[in-house]
Amino acid sequence: MIELRQVTKRYGEVAAVADLSFTAPAGQIIGLLGQNGAGKTTTLNILTGYLPPTSGQVLVDGLDMLTHARECKRRIGYLPEKPPLYDEMTVRSYLGFVCDLKEVAPRARKAHVAQIIATCGLTEVAGRLIGHLSKGYRQRVGIAQALCGNPPILVLDEPTVGLDPRQVVEIRGLIRELGKTHTILFSSHLLPEVQQLCQRVIILHHGRMMREADMAALTEGEGTLRLLAAISLGQKALIPALQSLPCVQRVKVLRAHAAETEVLLECTPDAAPDPQTQLFSLLCGLNAPLRALSQERSTLEDVFLRITAQDDE
Amino acid sequence: MRAIWKRELQAYFFTPVGYVFMGVFLLLSSAMFYTTIMQNRSSDLPTFIGMMSYLWMLLCPVLTMRLLAEERQKRTDQLLLTSPVSLPAVVLGKYLAALSVMLITVLLTGLFVLIVAIYGAVYPAELLASYLGFVLQGCAFIALDLFLSGCAANQVTAAVLAFGANLLLWMLDLLETAITIEPVKDVLAFLSLYARSEPFLMGQLSFASVGYFLSFTAAFIVLTIHTLDSRRYRGA
Repeated sequence: MIELRQVTKRYGEVAAVADLSFTAPAGQIIGLLGQNGAGKTTTLNILTGYLPPTSGQVLVDGLDMLTHARECKRRIGYLPEKPPLYDEMTVRSYLGFVCDLKEVAPRARKAHVAQIIATCGLTEVAGRLIGHLSKGYRQRVGIAQALCGNPPILVLDEPTVGLDPRQVVEIRGLIRELGKTHTILFSSHLLPEVQQLCQRVIILHHGRMMREADMAALTEGEGTLRLLAAISLGQKALIPALQSLPCVQRVKVLRAHAAETEVLLECTPDAAPDPQTQLFSLLCGLNAPLRALSQERSTLEDVFLRITAQDDE
Repeated sequence: MRAIWKRELQAYFFTPVGYVFMGVFLLLSSAMFYTTIMQNRSSDLPTFIGMMSYLWMLLCPVLTMRLLAEERQKRTDQLLLTSPVSLPAVVLGKYLAALSVMLITVLLTGLFVLIVAIYGAVYPAELLASYLGFVLQGCAFIALDLFLSGCAANQVTAAVLAFGANLLLWMLDLLETAITIEPVKDVLAFLSLYARSEPFLMGQLSFASVGYFLSFTAAFIVLTIHTLDSRRYRGA
């Protein structure tokens, strides 16, 4: 478990991260989301102990990073934005070196490295020089490096940036697999990626936290139920009727034909009977067949844009 | 610390750097050996060792330029600093790796001693004192140049800074003879690495000089650690 308490990092006058507090509970995949320059990398550098914060506290399993650096760092595996690789080493010898750094017992080292090589799909290139590897493999070696010493927490900074679509899918699969046994905190500006992988999201903007929520709660819509309906009735008769329903807050016409109208209804979700039933009864009374009805969930993209736009205003 | 030392030592020999250092050192020292010892039919090893010590000035930057500047340039320092290893251990590990390559090279110069021992006469006490001064001088240069590698943003800058600093130390002797103001002269004489090694070459074991070299070395290692640590706070 990682906890940040009122962490601020200043570079001169500029605050890269300001008053940031959040908790990454054990066993979850947590996405750190933000535009370029939002402070994601700085945040990750601080919570892995690479940079000390200007003020505030980082706690790893309840231990302070400042006073118990060694114990804290032993619990975290970190893949920085640019994988920290030594080009003149082979994959196997490099991973051996990282195991030494992470204090893996010399006797257990060989088996540990072999297991990591297998997990990360590096078997074919284990004996090759890192400098000769393709970008996708380098990224995998970067992830492999973070796994050395079996840290329970993995911190990954934009793990899929610059990879081709197939490699992206593979790396995401690997992260999902690792998420079953590790707490993973990863940053991204790719919203679909975060939506696919994470259980929890933290949205950063200009170095400050805008939102921290479970993925489900975030995309479920915020206090409104959004219904998409296609109804066989002209818009002139339909709209006033819809507006007369007590649960409907707003009606938006998406497409209007002579005899059919598509509308988006924003309803209060806790109405009784529920909005769908009310709509059905209304349309039965009007003798207007319902062609289609679906609930619209907002995508993470909508949420993200709304939250960051609010701040910019 | 051991892990860092081991990796750096391997890196010297996985890349050409280690071979270049040893090769150039031995080539130049062979030339010196030929001119001072063989041509003169002399067995004056201390003079030869004194000459070899000028090679540190030229070659130590080759050993140290990569050590810290490259980590910073390639951002591999992120691995070291987020591992359960302390900053002093990182710096010491790197220092010891450079020192190891230097000591291997010094051992190889034993061949010259062997040749003199076969065809001439070797005075062990004198020889050991000379070698001690020679090695201590190398230790000091590596510490200074390692510090400059820690200051530089890339290898080339690190090398240029190191060459400059080494030459400046050498020039202290020249400045000292040129300057007539007594207190300044005294300070320059105190700082000069080459003047400090003279007693060793005369077969004297000077504790003041040993102390000077060791504190010079320790001071620059501490400065290196301090520089790297303060950079983390500034976040540059």
